[in-house]
Amino acid sequence: MSGPMSAGDGFQGLKLRQLSRRVGSHTLVDQLSLTVAPGEILALLGPSGCGKSSTLRLIAGLDPASSGEIQLGGRNITALPPAERQVAMVFQSYALFPHLSVERNLSLGMELRGMGRAEIQRDLDQVLALMQLEGLRQRKPAELSGGQRQRVALARALIRRPALFLLDEPMSNLDAQLRDNLRAELRTLLRSTGVPVVYVTHDQHEAMGLADRIVVLREGRLQQLGTAERLYRDPANRFVARFLGSPTVNLIERGTTQLGLRPELLELTDAGSPVPQGWEALEGQLSHREWLGDRVISHVQCAEQGTLRVLSREAPISSALQVRWRQADALRFDARSGERLPGSNTPHTE
Amino acid sequence: MRWRLWLLMAPALALLLAIFAAPLLHYLWLSTQAQSVLTGLQPQPIGAQQWLRLWNDGRFWQDTWQTLRFSAASVSLEMLLGLAVALLLNQPLRGRGVLRTISLLPWALPTTVMALGWRWIFNDPYGPISRLLAGLELPAIPFLSNPALTWMATVGADTWKTTPFVALLLLAGLQTIPADLYEAAALEGATPWQTLRRITLPLLTPYLLIALLFRLAQALGVFDLIQVLTGGGPAGSTESLALYAYLNAMRFLDFGYSATLLLGSFAILLILCGAGAVIWRWSLRWQGGLR
Amino acid sequence: MARLLLLLWSLGPMLWQLYSSLKPSEALSGLGAGGWTLENYRQLLQGDPPFLTYLINSVVVGASSTALTLALAVPCAYALSRLGRRQARALTALVAAAAAFPAVLLFLALLELARDWHLANQLLALSLPYAGLCLPLAILLLQAAFADIPVELEEAALIEGMGLWQRLRWILLPLMAPAMASSALLVFLFSWNEYPIALTWLSRTELLTLAPAMARIAGSSVYTIPYGACAAATVLGSAPLILLMLLFQRQIISGLTQGAIKG
Repeated sequence: MSGPMSAGDGFQGLKLRQLSRRVGSHTLVDQLSLTVAPGEILALLGPSGCGKSSTLRLIAGLDPASSGEIQLGGRNITALPPAERQVAMVFQSYALFPHLSVERNLSLGMELRGMGRAEIQRDLDQVLALMQLEGLRQRKPAELSGGQRQRVALARALIRRPALFLLDEPMSNLDAQLRDNLRAELRTLLRSTGVPVVYVTHDQHEAMGLADRIVVLREGRLQQLGTAERLYRDPANRFVARFLGSPTVNLIERGTTQLGLRPELLELTDAGSPVPQGWEALEGQLSHREWLGDRVISHVQCAEQGTLRVLSREAPISSALQVRWRQADALRFDARSGERLPGSNTPHTE
Repeated sequence: MRWRLWLLMAPALALLLAIFAAPLLHYLWLSTQAQSVLTGLQPQPIGAQQWLRLWNDGRFWQDTWQTLRFSAASVSLEMLLGLAVALLLNQPLRGRGVLRTISLLPWALPTTVMALGWRWIFNDPYGPISRLLAGLELPAIPFLSNPALTWMATVGADTWKTTPFVALLLLAGLQTIPADLYEAAALEGATPWQTLRRITLPLLTPYLLIALLFRLAQALGVFDLIQVLTGGGPAGSTESLALYAYLNAMRFLDFGYSATLLLGSFAILLILCGAGAVIWRWSLRWQGGLR
Repeated sequence: MARLLLLLWSLGPMLWQLYSSLKPSEALSGLGAGGWTLENYRQLLQGDPPFLTYLINSVVVGASSTALTLALAVPCAYALSRLGRRQARALTALVAAAAAFPAVLLFLALLELARDWHLANQLLALSLPYAGLCLPLAILLLQAAFADIPVELEEAALIEGMGLWQRLRWILLPLMAPAMASSALLVFLFSWNEYPIALTWLSRTELLTLAPAMARIAGSSVYTIPYGACAAATVLGSAPLILLMLLFQRQIISGLTQGAIKG
């Protein structure tokens, strides 16, 4: 094995370099390169089958990489078995050992690694207290609620003091309300560990609410890497633009280009109103409205351009409407490749 | 990783080869050797002579017929009764669990034990059946001394012992059929018979096939029951292929011919399974053509 | 009504044995009057060798066969469940074919095996062919159970740093306990009931297991079968199994159906 520093460059976080995994003729992960700094939370975001879980499994060492390199804490861990990588992983299903109590779920690994009793007990008490699991020590996983199970899974990962935290859709088995409540809590907890965190999710809200930076993946390839705001305001391509934001971005054809219009950047006025300088407009009929409580989505039928979704505070009064937008706000894409075209909007500074 | 998996399988696979594959290969060799009292129990190559002997052996063909007759009768009875019992046990009845356990008991008993029991039950004139008939002033039935009846007695005893196995398997199959199918059928006003034909039986087919295949293979190798209940008699009328092969080895000490007989039995089993598979596939195509 | 019929059909023959075993032989042959008696059992238990010997022999063979079968089948089933799909399917098909194979056809070759390796008349050696014959069913059953354990559990253990042996010992085997109990019971039942191989491997009376012993009792007197004693032997020979069935019916039934369904 190469020395700890020989392969690395002193960077203490996680570094992927041209990482690929191919199975037969399928490429699950394609030349992926990225870094995650200590204390940073990086979300891998994408639809199912985009390669985000495959990437996580490569980092954990559960699947072998076809090519490329994984560095952690300055050492090359690409060829190491999972046990020697010092990573902790929270599985989507939590993968709690069903025949063991909460306490044993946490301590079994340490016992088998030959840690002393007193040391184990101290760590147990600490983590169980942190995760508010003290009352559940002797319970079996089947006797826990979904949220409690998730906490046990997190506790099992925390107690290892890993050099890297991997989470595979840890929220997807919880109901929506609990998920919203847990997001901030989980973020604080993960940040406090001070190690790099890679968080896989298909839920854009989760990624935007939790992560410092987001990677959008599609068919194993990196589409864009950046902060949530950057990805939202300045998407690299149509795929990223469509994947982030709800309601989804409106797309209208303009010859060989496509305009991407964020629903909240559209304005509604009466049909036939004059269009100001630097603005563009379409006329259409209101087909229906969706109430969101504080806001409303108006669906406006605009002849050949299809239906535009407009997000606004107040509901339109008439049914013949003009939809207009600042030209600088439109995202411009190549209609065929979906790539972002230069020269369109510059990100706002607010 | 890979080679470790094969290492884990190696001991079991080795024993399986030694117990299943090696004997068949050994028989193949032994069937070309004379090894009997006449050769001083030493093997002497004699080519295909024993296969010719088999071909011309009236007893072999008679035993083949008897074995097939026994298998066909007992397996079809077991399937019918097994289905009936499974349907009964699938009803939401009180005491179903206890009933299920009790009905499985015959299967768990050693064949020799229960064969002995049946010998006593079929006994004429002291067995319960004879007593019952005598009590009703009916003539006694000589179950174990009349060739026309004895094979039926063996079928009866075998059916008693193995019906529970079939029933249990089919019951497991019945429990995989979703209840809403029956509810839908009931809403459409299907009769119980229609429900059985259109829903239960088609969905039960894989289980019926497994039970049929397994039971048929076992019935074609019937040995314990016949040896203890009738000894192959009267006058060889219930002798099975396995029993004939056993007698050749253990009583006539003709090992070469015994191996030939065992291989012959195996060939018959293979032919039957092959024919069954062909008929099955053919019937599927025929059904497909109708639709 | 149907339930009653089923009960009568299942229990009738057994009850008749119980009844016969408690009657003096004169009553059974219709000569004398019929009081109740334990004479048949006394005869059996004080015979030479006492009937208990056969039961003990059967227990010894059953236990050793069960242990050997599980020791071989568990690693094999684990590997099969982790093998690539195509290889596993081919192997599983072969194993399933072996499970249905009528064991009696193997007696001659196994007899020669016993002769060549001097395994005849050794109770423990009998567990070798028994384990071989039970392996297919045990493997199918255990493989199905292994396949039901989510792979993530093993991966979680892998990340925790557990080696293969530790994963088996601490994670997989505890979760396999029900399936292992089912297969153990089925193997035990098989070896308790097996006849042709025991018949050809064992010749010394004091080593006989139950099945050949029963046959020998039946064959001991060709003209007058001691039906009272036979019935008592039937009852004694079945009692342990009936007890086993009543105690572990759930495991036995699940094993039986699982093995057949997945196979």
